[in-house]
Amino acid sequence: MPPQQAVAALPARASSNLRLGLLVPAVAAVVALALLPVFTSGYVVYVANVLLVYVVLSLGLNLVIGEAGQFSLSHAAFYGIGIYAAALGNKLLGLPLVGCLLLAGVVAALLGGVIGTIALRMRDIYLALTTFAFGEAMQWLFLNWEPVTGGPNGLRIPPSSLFGVEILNDKQAYPVVLGVALLMLGATVVISRSRLGRAFRAVRESDVAAMAMGIPVRRVKIMAFLLSAFYAGVAGGLFATFSTYIHPESLGFQTTMTVLTMVVVGGLGSTGGALLGAVVFGLISELLRQAPAVQEMTYGLILILFMMFVPRGLAPAVSRWVRGRGHV
Amino acid sequence: MIEVENLTLRFGGLVAVNDLSLVVRPRTIHALIGPNGAGKSTTFNCISRLYRPTSGRIRVLGRDVSGLRPQDLAPLGVARTFQNLELFGGLSVLENVLIGAHVHCGGGLRERLAARPPAVIGHVEHLLERVGLAEFRHAQASALDFGRQKMLELARALAIRPRILLLDEPAAGLRNREIGALDRLLNELVERDGLTVLLVEHVMQLVMAISHRVTVMNFGARIAEGTPAEVRRDPLVVEAYLGQEAAHA
Repeated sequence: MPPQQAVAALPARASSNLRLGLLVPAVAAVVALALLPVFTSGYVVYVANVLLVYVVLSLGLNLVIGEAGQFSLSHAAFYGIGIYAAALGNKLLGLPLVGCLLLAGVVAALLGGVIGTIALRMRDIYLALTTFAFGEAMQWLFLNWEPVTGGPNGLRIPPSSLFGVEILNDKQAYPVVLGVALLMLGATVVISRSRLGRAFRAVRESDVAAMAMGIPVRRVKIMAFLLSAFYAGVAGGLFATFSTYIHPESLGFQTTMTVLTMVVVGGLGSTGGALLGAVVFGLISELLRQAPAVQEMTYGLILILFMMFVPRGLAPAVSRWVRGRGHV
Repeated sequence: MIEVENLTLRFGGLVAVNDLSLVVRPRTIHALIGPNGAGKSTTFNCISRLYRPTSGRIRVLGRDVSGLRPQDLAPLGVARTFQNLELFGGLSVLENVLIGAHVHCGGGLRERLAARPPAVIGHVEHLLERVGLAEFRHAQASALDFGRQKMLELARALAIRPRILLLDEPAAGLRNREIGALDRLLNELVERDGLTVLLVEHVMQLVMAISHRVTVMNFGARIAEGTPAEVRRDPLVVEAYLGQEAAHA
């Protein structure tokens, strides 16, 4: 092999070794996750369910903000739409679990497409404010559309059924939540590597150049918005499978900020980062529920520390560390 | 290949391009030169649809472009580079060129989902070799030095497999050796690959060496056109350039 080719071949081989090195722990992790309910308490499984919902939310928000670079601040609204769609699909239409999940995703995505088409005429701070306003409007709607959402009294979610079996507790819901979350993770990896994923990143980096490459910039932005809303809707549907009650209070800007923090802490624009951020930050916030007094302050502190010391997030730092160890 | 007829563009009261007509013949390198603010880049941006002309007509590959959006040009086979580099800076060199091939990997679902689409990856690798960036394929685009960034932008434009290449100051900021390489590459693209090139340029060395035809603009209007040798002798051109230099002195 001529020397130049050898040089070029090196990084490729190193990365395939790295991929193999990551595959084994990944499979082990999935097996361990699948067995979780066997040897842990209901509370641990409940936390795992919540974390998995956050994972799906983070993956979706990362698609629109991290990959496509479009500032969407209405994630909690699409999440809420997913929850209500799934709960009502179950309650009023008697849909089985899979139908509820699909309904949740599709309703959120459709609305996301409509909002995206309107909001994406704007950019940067104007886009952020428009989507923020939409999020606030949706929360108001959740609070006041009493015949449908139950308004401030909240909505009782009846147990959903899978193949005729009713899901009554966290342990029964867990395999579904885990399976769907893994499916969404796989889909994210595929999308990110695809032509569409490249178009997202092109639009993020320079929309003038993206246009010159023949990329329909507006359509790609709307697609990112729509996909992201689909993820949030499915996350809402998952929440509805293991929860018995939903109140609009938890569907406001605070939740959008929590997911945004997860994505930033993990590493904006990285699928692994969204995953890691959701798990790490989700665990921290679960721990902090014991001490509500310092909860908000600690969130703020974590965000500031990350901005200062790990501005690109956990994922790049971890992958540097893994690669560094590989050389020893 | 490109016909510009009576192109005029006004920004408010300012006339940026004034009644400009221009014909770029197939398989030639046509240079658009002139002092700063002469309206060269503006003309360029009218052709690539970033600006909408106030009046006049532009035909590209025999087609009136007035109804087209900027993203419609690449599928027609028209590629461009930018005066102040518009790379996808945070992405790798390879990914930049892959995105250039966007319009060629929309075939089947497999092609759309592939990280390295089979239909284009060979061509993309070949282009990286051709502009001397193969060994930097995994580097981040913004980490390259300026000359290599310019070459990357050219490779990305070529990934469109264009018939017409619009180059906005390709040599600006390059060192002499790099200009030599660019010169050879452009010649090859026209002679061997049959491309047509329209370039806006300040670097006279490049313009005079490779252009088949030169159009000189000043204050938004055409003041001369001809072969490089003819244009160099034109008194109006000499005045436009010397006058400017005198003003700077």
